Amino acid sequence: MLSIRNLNKRYGRFQAVSELNLDVPEGEIFGFVGPNGAGKTTTMKIICGLLRATSGEITLDGVDIIRNSRRMKEKIGYMPDFFGVYDDLKVNEYLEFYASIYNIKGQERKRITDDLLELVDLGSKREAYVDSLSRGMKQRLCLARSLVHNPRLLVLDEPASGMDPRARFEMKEILKNLKGMGKTIIISSHILPELAELCTSIGIIDQGRMVISGSNEEIMQQVYNKKVVRLKVRDRLDDAVLILKEYPFVDKLVIGENTIQAGFGGGDGEMSRVLSDLINRGIPVVSFAQMDGNLEDVFMKVTKGDDEQ
Amino acid sequence: MNINPVLLKELKVRMRGWKAAGIIALYLLVLTVVAVFIIYTTFMDPYSSNIDPQVSIGAYTALAVFQFMLIMFIVPALTAGAISGEREKQTLDLVLCTRLKPISIITGKLFASTSQTLLLIIASFPLFSMVFLFGGISIKEVMQLFGFYIVTAVTIGCIGIFFSAHLKRTTASTVFTYGTLAFLAFGTIFIGVFYIRIFYNWDYNKFLPILYSNPLTGFGSLLAEQFGYYGGINAFLGLSAGSGQNPNAANAISPWLGNIIFDIVLSAVLLILSAARINPVRKSIFSYIRFRGRKKKKASDSI
Ligand SMILES: Nc1ncnc2c1ncn2[C@@H]1O[C@H](COP(=O)(O)OP(=O)(O)O)[C@@H](O)[C@H]1O
Ligand SMILES: [Mg+2]
Repeated sequence: MLSIRNLNKRYGRFQAVSELNLDVPEGEIFGFVGPNGAGKTTTMKIICGLLRATSGEITLDGVDIIRNSRRMKEKIGYMPDFFGVYDDLKVNEYLEFYASIYNIKGQERKRITDDLLELVDLGSKREAYVDSLSRGMKQRLCLARSLVHNPRLLVLDEPASGMDPRARFEMKEILKNLKGMGKTIIISSHILPELAELCTSIGIIDQGRMVISGSNEEIMQQVYNKKVVRLKVRDRLDDAVLILKEYPFVDKLVIGENTIQAGFGGGDGEMSRVLSDLINRGIPVVSFAQMDGNLEDVFMKVTKGDDEQ
Repeated sequence: MNINPVLLKELKVRMRGWKAAGIIALYLLVLTVVAVFIIYTTFMDPYSSNIDPQVSIGAYTALAVFQFMLIMFIVPALTAGAISGEREKQTLDLVLCTRLKPISIITGKLFASTSQTLLLIIASFPLFSMVFLFGGISIKEVMQLFGFYIVTAVTIGCIGIFFSAHLKRTTASTVFTYGTLAFLAFGTIFIGVFYIRIFYNWDYNKFLPILYSNPLTGFGSLLAEQFGYYGGINAFLGLSAGSGQNPNAANAISPWLGNIIFDIVLSAVLLILSAARINPVRKSIFSYIRFRGRKKKKASDSI
């Protein structure tokens, strides 16, 4: 349905997105994961016609989005990573305003507004001023806003960020609902586990490049198939890095202040071999342990791995 | 017909409750007090007879000047934040990602933010009409004055919108809007005087073209003509251009009419530039040049 080819975006000299490729088939929920500043918002804004790409091609159902920006905007719903609500409007007036932009009138407008408020569980707040809503409610209202024109593609930029666990759970339920309604959704996050259960496919972006992408299962496999070992030293961090790099089964080093995190391909035998080697060569090791296969750490491995090798 | 949704939404908010009606009532009260005061003091003048049209002309001029000042001072404050305010509230992207055209957003914002002023102007119409009960002023002249008001208000609004669309901050936009207005009102006069003093070759019977952009001279000439007196502007500049009998001045287009034409052209240009500014996917000449430059560089690299 959505297809991005060789997308590039430069802000002046700074390359925010480079040679990005992406395919999202109809009905998928695509998780767009990357650390802050990776280029997620930039990519999403380009999809929604809010930013001009430096080069590249984006098509929706085979139609060029960049050239048919206004027509394509009718098919895309965008929820930005900030609220953007008019404080002096009531909740229903807020939705009716966006509905009026799409020429939805009279009874139909009222029906759509009511349905959407029901969907995001704000039915009881119809007459409340937007100003008086809690953060989570405002976020849900923004989601409802992005749905007024019944778009086929939803672009949600970090919809769960800054939410407490309960609000996050509610947002997830709503998104599952939307998935059931057959919407195609792109959803971004800087935390992978947040999306793991929701998405059908996942792409990981770092420094403007798509590092890996694939179905949920594929990504999770890649992410889980290796151990992650965390080493803490008192001193001589650089020497420890050099030693670790001698081993072919150690890769994707992430170097902290006095810690090293590394992907580890071997078994327990190899682990003890590396440890005794480090100690024999005089590295003041404080701790050396295997981390449990926590997604977030592995995500760090995936995204940071390249520049350390 | 579809009313601009941005305009409709803003009117709904602005006209909510009693505030809008209260402001209009208060404004009319102030105008009435001004008019009554002028009429009263003129009546008290022992040298004038009771049915002197001088009375109505005095009141008319006072009201006209008062309302004109109001437009000059209030419209910049109301419009300079129209787009930058949306940007600061982060709501601009939310309308830009809809099917609404940038020019509709701009015109919706323009008329929404000038709506209160336009409403005040229109509400004061009956009061101005009262003045011609005393004679000396015709309904046609009141209509002319109001046409001039509306064009001036909308033009100042366009200047405010223009800076609001081009500058990030509302404060900066406000400063530039008042600055531009000050330039049009006073800067153009300085330039005119400067030009005459330097070159000494000014034909005193002609009107300085730069002053067509000046709202004050436009307004002044409108009132002067209404009082049957055509030398208004050049007199304003300290150039004794003679009186209404001057044939050259009569042949040239009236300063106020010239000002209206200038305003309409300027407004259209500013609106188009503002719409282009907020359009996120507009083609930029600069990016096109850079793109071509890079291609050339690549070609030379491969040689
Ligand atoms: N308007 C801009 N001008 C210059 N640099 C920008 C601009 N917007 C974003 N960037 C930079 O582009 C990079 C990607 O930003 P963004 O797409 O917002 O990342 P993400 O949403 O993944 O956190 C960041 O390094 C950011 O600083
Ligand atoms: Mg972001």
